[in-house]
Amino acid sequence: MAEAIQKKLKVEVEKYAQMQKEVSKSMSARQKLETQLTENNIVKEELDLLDSSNTVYKLIGPVLVKQDLDEAKATVAKRLEYINGEIQRYETLLKDMEKKSEQHREVLSSLQQEFQKAQGLAVGKV
Amino acid sequence: GWYFGAARQKGKRKTEELSHGYTVVSLEKPFVCRKKVSGDYEALNDRLKTLPDQLSYDIMVPFGPLAFMPGKLVHTNEVTVLLGDNWFTKCSAKQAQKIVDHRMKYVKNELDGLSKTIKNFEARVGFAKDLETISAVFIVQVINGGKQRMAHKPNSKPKQDVFFDFKEEDEENEEESGDSGSRKCIMTEEELWARLDELEKLEELQDEQDKLSDNGDMNGEDTSSSSSEEEKDADAAIPVNGLSLKPGWSALPSSTAPLRQDRKEEEDFEEEEEANCLPTIYFSHTVEPKKVRINTGKNTTLKFSERKEQKEHSKRKKKNGHSNGHAHHELHKITTPADIYSAVIGLGKFFPSLPDQLRENSVCSDTSESSAADFEERRIMGRSFSHDEAMHSDTSDGITEEDSPTAVLLQPPSRFEAFSGTVIEKDPMPSAVPHLTISPPALPTILERKQEEVAPDVAPPQQAPKRVSKFKAARLQQK
Repeated sequence: MAEAIQKKLKVEVEKYAQMQKEVSKSMSARQKLETQLTENNIVKEELDLLDSSNTVYKLIGPVLVKQDLDEAKATVAKRLEYINGEIQRYETLLKDMEKKSEQHREVLSSLQQEFQKAQGLAVGKV
Repeated sequence: GWYFGAARQKGKRKTEELSHGYTVVSLEKPFVCRKKVSGDYEALNDRLKTLPDQLSYDIMVPFGPLAFMPGKLVHTNEVTVLLGDNWFTKCSAKQAQKIVDHRMKYVKNELDGLSKTIKNFEARVGFAKDLETISAVFIVQVINGGKQRMAHKPNSKPKQDVFFDFKEEDEENEEESGDSGSRKCIMTEEELWARLDELEKLEELQDEQDKLSDNGDMNGEDTSSSSSEEEKDADAAIPVNGLSLKPGWSALPSSTAPLRQDRKEEEDFEEEEEANCLPTIYFSHTVEPKKVRINTGKNTTLKFSERKEQKEHSKRKKKNGHSNGHAHHELHKITTPADIYSAVIGLGKFFPSLPDQLRENSVCSDTSESSAADFEERRIMGRSFSHDEAMHSDTSDGITEEDSPTAVLLQPPSRFEAFSGTVIEKDPMPSAVPHLTISPPALPTILERKQEEVAPDVAPPQQAPKRVSKFKAARLQQK
């Protein structure tokens, strides 16, 4: 009886660990997005400060590609929107993950209690 | 209750400290980083200023990671600036400077914000620390009155035990939390607060119960239990202490002394944990003891230990089942030295040689007669103040405590105290050794009293004159 519970416990623990990993992954992804957001904001500001006299380049791989200032501005704005959307998505994902992990935690704790009870019984018997 | 609030505050403080400490540490890294960045930008600014001064510079160009090549820096006014996210722009040096200034502003803003928050947290940490060191004066209420009454009310015992169990649990929790670390501490703090809530509710319930039974009880008990709780809850008290306290709690009669002792130990423990000695203020609710004036003209204020002696003595005697409700001239029942003197006074008729002062001790007796409560209180006072000095006597007090209140209640009407205090004579009466030397009213030993007790019935009248003489001698000596 105790062993069965123990096995169950192990399985649940693994699942929970997995959940935690996923949560942390999404967390880090979200953080990345945050940094990108700030960066793009700065770029936007700088581009606004520039006038059309100076050329704008975009680094694509090892190549610096000339870009039009307006195009650049538009591109940056689009990117900003995209990043914002991604952040939202990740937030919802995180919430769901949190809930799931909570549930898992509860299950784990209940299992643990059962296990302890079983162990206690076993000890009592012995 | 106030004590819960205090404990909670203390817990809060700790969590705050820990969290603030953590945040301070975590904020330092970005702070340093940003400082470096701003320094770099300043250097860049300077470079940009000087760059357009010349058309071309002779420089050593880095060639791969390991080599340099002599070369020239041309187009000194054209700068390709990285705007971020793989976006570049070509601009003049001045424009680049503008951009750099911009970035500097941004970084400085962030730096300022960070430094502000760091200062904030540091201040909080310092404040919390100060609070802990300064205000963590464990205010222990010595609940003598409550304790005494507790002796009357056995039903109040379980309450104590209940409190106690919770405390133990708390201690265990705290121990675990202490072991694990700051984060876990915060977690268990929350648990603690939950428990505190439970305890509060319990207390309130018990308060109501007690109000029904006796008013005065609760205050004493609660304060004692709460203060001890406070101590325990606030710091990671060691379960050992708690366990040691338990017997003290459950064995109510012997409560005060061991409790105090344990408390002190507890506090010491806690103090050790905090790596600092915290002052402890002991105070009790009781009334100030009266100063007994002996008609010798001297304003002799009895020392508390003396009074305790008296208490102790009286209690032990009472414990033996004597009731002092006998008539004044109790030649057979002498429970306290005061009894002796009253006996003497009673016998004054038979000993006309006695000095009048002794006979006129009625003055003192008046004061003593004034209230049994006074008597009690004096006892209490003695106990509370002298606990530091004479723990053993405390324990004896505790032991006999139970009997005392009942006995005292019986006493007052018939009791005629010659002299409400005790003059301590170190050497036991029955030994009948002729000491005319007076021991300074130092702490009496239990032995003495026991001996006294042992031989009270042994021809007190015979002893009386000797005692009288001693007393007289003492006074003479004191003069």
